[in-house]
Amino acid sequence: MKSTPLPRAELAGTIAAALSAFGLGVRRNLANWPILMGRALFYLVVMAVLSALWDKVAGQNLPGTLATVLPPGGLTLYVGATEWITLSIAAIHLRLEDDIRFGLLEPQLLRPKPYLLQKIAESMGDTFARLLGIGAAALVALALSGRSAPPAIAFAYVAVLGVFGGAIGVLLYTLVGLAAFWVRRVLPPYLIMQKSMFILGGLFAPISLYPDWLYHAARLTPFAANTFIAGNQMIAPSAAAFGAGLAAQLAWIVIIAILIALVWRAALRKILREGV
Amino acid sequence: MSAIISVENLRKEFRYVRRRRGFAAGLSGLFARDIQTIEAVDGISFEIAARERVAIIGPNGAGKSTTLKMLSGILEPTSGAARVLDFVPWKQRRQLSYRIGVVFGQRSQLWAELPARDSFALLRRIYDVEAKTFAARLAQLVERFGLGALLDQPVQRLSLGQRMRCEIVASLLHGPALLFLDEPTIGLDITAKAAIRDFIREHAGMEGQTVVLTSHDTRDIELVCDRVIVINAGRIVVDQPTDQLRRQFLGHRLVTLRSAAPRIEISLPGVVRRVSEPHISIFEVDTRTTRVDAVVEAALALGGIEDITIEDPPMEEVVREIYAAATR
Repeated sequence: MKSTPLPRAELAGTIAAALSAFGLGVRRNLANWPILMGRALFYLVVMAVLSALWDKVAGQNLPGTLATVLPPGGLTLYVGATEWITLSIAAIHLRLEDDIRFGLLEPQLLRPKPYLLQKIAESMGDTFARLLGIGAAALVALALSGRSAPPAIAFAYVAVLGVFGGAIGVLLYTLVGLAAFWVRRVLPPYLIMQKSMFILGGLFAPISLYPDWLYHAARLTPFAANTFIAGNQMIAPSAAAFGAGLAAQLAWIVIIAILIALVWRAALRKILREGV
Repeated sequence: MSAIISVENLRKEFRYVRRRRGFAAGLSGLFARDIQTIEAVDGISFEIAARERVAIIGPNGAGKSTTLKMLSGILEPTSGAARVLDFVPWKQRRQLSYRIGVVFGQRSQLWAELPARDSFALLRRIYDVEAKTFAARLAQLVERFGLGALLDQPVQRLSLGQRMRCEIVASLLHGPALLFLDEPTIGLDITAKAAIRDFIREHAGMEGQTVVLTSHDTRDIELVCDRVIVINAGRIVVDQPTDQLRRQFLGHRLVTLRSAAPRIEISLPGVVRRVSEPHISIFEVDTRTTRVDAVVEAALALGGIEDITIEDPPMEEVVREIYAAATR
């Protein structure tokens, strides 16, 4: 007869199951390598367009424009990092929506490990595999382009901050997905979240170029921790900024995780009372 | 035999707000909501003993899925009590989940893009099954279910029948004492259905598992279950052994005669000829009026009989009759 594990063994089991789900997410992306390649190709196309645009802006060298503030080619490198993170984030909100709307959630609630933790771990695995695939394509493209690159340490900073930025993206999309318990279709909240991530996260231009009040406001949001903190290391690499950025990312991960736990608890109460 | 499922006066009502038509009505609805209540399960009580194989059947909206959800712990009842394997399901869902296996015919628990082997490996972690136990159990199930060549193919490339075999294996990997099967053969062809039914019956028998099954396919009920609980409008209409139910509700048997002559006529009270092919005559016998052996004797007296088959009527007819009786 199978007995219920003790609390410590239970925690270890939960972590082992989450790691297993993470590995499954990675393997799924590797198994679907043509899709991963397609995603990397799309990244390169986007970067070709954006680098042409930003190089032209920088080439004008007009006073008061971005060219005077950033290092040569800096904007392209910045956008290369932010796009890398953005295109890698798994669409966990769609998976949650499917599970909730089409009743796929029920069999998964009948498992001993927390459903949402398993889903998040799986999507983190998806995101990690994409970061690896798209990141490799980005590095090859940068080497072939002959552009001047930041110091090697900047890439190490970006790699670490990019992974945590991707994790924040997954958690933000998790919140969007959980909205399906109340609104059924997550497209409206998704669009709000995505646009906020683009604008306040500085997807196309560093938020440090925004007016001061907007910059400070954006820094106070999780969106800056999603993309700006990593991207900024490509134009102004520093150990101090790396440390502060990492601390901010970890703080946001904790805050969003707590928020997710609260929303999930409310959702679970709703399911148990009303059904899916 | 001790009960592993006991249900006492279980009720579940759902409340929803009825939307009003028109802008003005909709606006007024913001202030005075029109709340409707639906009694999905209306005070049902039953017990299921260990090793029993029980079908819970009923028309759509009868309350059987709601009952199963409450028994598995994903829905709280409005009132009443239930214990499953000594747990209160909706309060101890996680503990209960180690002891139950669940198959939802229309909802996959496997990861489509990956081979079933990867899903099984993750399920081992989810259910905290020791590696050695898992390997032995998987090998046994793979052999019994003929899954060897399929394990390393992505699930999305498997046929529905192959996928369903994998789903059932996935639900058994942690060695559950109780299996909840919701439409396990839906959409399968005849061969695949037969394989699934044989497997469930044999495996449950060998492992001493209790099975609770819902299905709209009456052959699933006939061939897998030894007891049927019929639910209609949230209430238990019938709770009987499968064989007894079939006889009580129709009191009919089917006698099929294969003959040299293209057609055979039998004139006995309560015996009705059904439409059939040449050389095959099917008679429906009301056993309350005429005994089956009297029909056989009459047929043999005519001569030229090559084969005789005596069957119970199909379960579809039994269920149709039960529903009709319940609504009369």
